[in-house]
Amino acid sequence: MTPLVPLVAAIPLLAATLVAFTGKWIPAVAADVAGFAAAGVPAVLAAIVLGRTGGHILSYWFGGWRPRAGSFPVGIGWAVDSLGASFALFVLVLLLAALVYSWRYMEDERYLYVVLMLAFGAAMASFVLSGDIFNMFVFFELMSVSAFALTAYKIEEASPLQGSFNFAVANTIGAFLVLLGIALLYGRTGALNLAEIGRRLTFDGRHDGVVVAAFALITCGFLVKAAIVPFHFWLADAHAVAPAPVCVLFSGVMVELGIFAVARIFWTVFAGVLGAFEHPIRDVLLGVGAVTAILGALMCGLQRHVKRLLAYSTIAHAGCFLIGVALLTPDALAGAAVYVLAHGLAKSALFLVGGVLLVTRGNIDELQLFGLGRRLRPAAVAWFVAALALASPPFLGTFTAHALIDDAASVEGYWWVPLVVAIATIGSTAAILRAGLRIFLGVGDREDPLLSEQPSESPPPEEHRELGVMYAVTLLLAFAGLAAGAWTGLAAKAMEAAQTFTDQLAYLHAVLDHRAPAPPPPGEWRTTTASFVWAVVTLVGSIALGFASTVRDRLPRSVSDGLARAFMPLRAVHSGHIGDYVAWLTFGTAVIGGLFAVTIR
Amino acid sequence: MSVLPYLLAVWIFLVGLYGIVSSRNLIHIAVCVSVCQSGTYVLLLAIGYRKHGTAPVFGDIPTSRKVVDPVVQSLTLTDIVVAVAVSALLLALALKTFEHQGSLDPHEVAELKG
Repeated sequence: MTPLVPLVAAIPLLAATLVAFTGKWIPAVAADVAGFAAAGVPAVLAAIVLGRTGGHILSYWFGGWRPRAGSFPVGIGWAVDSLGASFALFVLVLLLAALVYSWRYMEDERYLYVVLMLAFGAAMASFVLSGDIFNMFVFFELMSVSAFALTAYKIEEASPLQGSFNFAVANTIGAFLVLLGIALLYGRTGALNLAEIGRRLTFDGRHDGVVVAAFALITCGFLVKAAIVPFHFWLADAHAVAPAPVCVLFSGVMVELGIFAVARIFWTVFAGVLGAFEHPIRDVLLGVGAVTAILGALMCGLQRHVKRLLAYSTIAHAGCFLIGVALLTPDALAGAAVYVLAHGLAKSALFLVGGVLLVTRGNIDELQLFGLGRRLRPAAVAWFVAALALASPPFLGTFTAHALIDDAASVEGYWWVPLVVAIATIGSTAAILRAGLRIFLGVGDREDPLLSEQPSESPPPEEHRELGVMYAVTLLLAFAGLAAGAWTGLAAKAMEAAQTFTDQLAYLHAVLDHRAPAPPPPGEWRTTTASFVWAVVTLVGSIALGFASTVRDRLPRSVSDGLARAFMPLRAVHSGHIGDYVAWLTFGTAVIGGLFAVTIR
Repeated sequence: MSVLPYLLAVWIFLVGLYGIVSSRNLIHIAVCVSVCQSGTYVLLLAIGYRKHGTAPVFGDIPTSRKVVDPVVQSLTLTDIVVAVAVSALLLALALKTFEHQGSLDPHEVAELKG
């Protein structure tokens, strides 16, 4: 089965090259069909590979450079565990969904769009399967550059250029931080293979400045991609201007990939050498995760541009993903993994509804669209179903994810984690609900003193409308997101996968010594009363706050003015100026790195 | 070996960051990103340096000869290729922005905020 592994990335990359060269001459339909095939076939392969992993770690060495057991790995290897394979599968499924949706959505020169999407998807799938840190960096950059280009796809408008420029500069600086960290690790260990670096660091046992600096640089670099405060500014700009089907990949998997990278690098490279410092590492990462979750939810409540609103909601949820990883326990990590799935499906559906609004109503502004969505019934259904999935109602949507994270946090003694997750969920879901109520049902006021205006986006031309396909994809994703929480077997499977993922020795033996790891204990998950209560709280809270925020215009003048003034500094910080973003990035790296330097000694 | 190359790498990186933060011109920002990246080249090459080592090309030298680390050099090359793609994209975006708005000042072209 291992020979299938590289095909998962090779097929879309080869197809992208072929379409890029022939696109000018072949009909647009051929480029589309090539796109579907080049996303669909690898998705099937990824599913087969996932079926074969089940507790194992499959290694694939490029060019046959498989090292003898215990010797130094010279070649470049991929190491596929269940979590990595699931992530790759999810990337490819969302890629396929986005391509099918954009069948009639994108305008002329569509083959270039297909090329960029395939390269983007292939790079993300490769990134999660790779077992070599420099290989990861290269795919990270491939993924970034295609994402920058996709953001600026509507190059005839001004704001996509700004969004893409900010996105490109911030993420490139983030990638440099990662590269500096990789250089330090190579200087210390002479290796680029994750398992080999991990083995050398663990046996060396020194946790001096070089190791701590490498850890801080790599973590901060990947957190830029994950849009964690104060590295998050680029995300809202990029999501607001990128085409809706591109946002599906941005919000559904790309941001999550930053979190995945932090987890992957920690558990394969640093878990041994920094094992004694789990507490300070956990506290720092939990802290930034909590700030991200709450800030994202707050900003979400201030947006009227629908895609920008959804972007801030993604930031709020990214904070929760980081909390799941930062607890540094397998069960919490399993929670984060299930969370990524449920959130990715639901959020994709929401972005696609945004695309439908743009196509049918030529607008993406909540207040200008007031009541105009009344006749778009399928869009309304998808919107509210997806919002419900994100509200974490009992036994649906993100419920299992929240329950796993909350329970793991309680075991570790972090009583405030469920509270933060609930606040982030209520804040962001209420904003989504508010927008839906205004647009699709015409509920509430036509004015809102707290929302900030954004430049509008031009709709795709009339003749490209094919609403049936767009609705089908959107509804499918929305209901899948809701169902993700109802599938209890998923939580158990994720717990097993997370056991393997967090076992550094098992990874090391599997990759370097070709020894299959012991199968993880079967995962078992039960709903606790606490998680049920929290689910009811988030559901009721989201609905109540959602309805309440549609009538903010009825607040007394003094109160609404006071609120607007209170949010003024927060708004001002999100200035749209790349210089400010990089200043924040530098500041954040200094603070997080400084905290690690002080606490790890 | 001396600590100077490492300090130089950090210095170049920070100068690049300062340039981006204080810049009023998008093309200048794109160049500053390249400056930052140069810091990473210097660090990579410094890590591969061996005292009295020569270039790692074994065509005309005995294989017993001490050479600098070829791995970091190939990493640097890869890094340069990445830089070309990013610079090209940033400059294209800057150019298009000027065509649309007649300005390269990030303060003036900022439409998305809040």
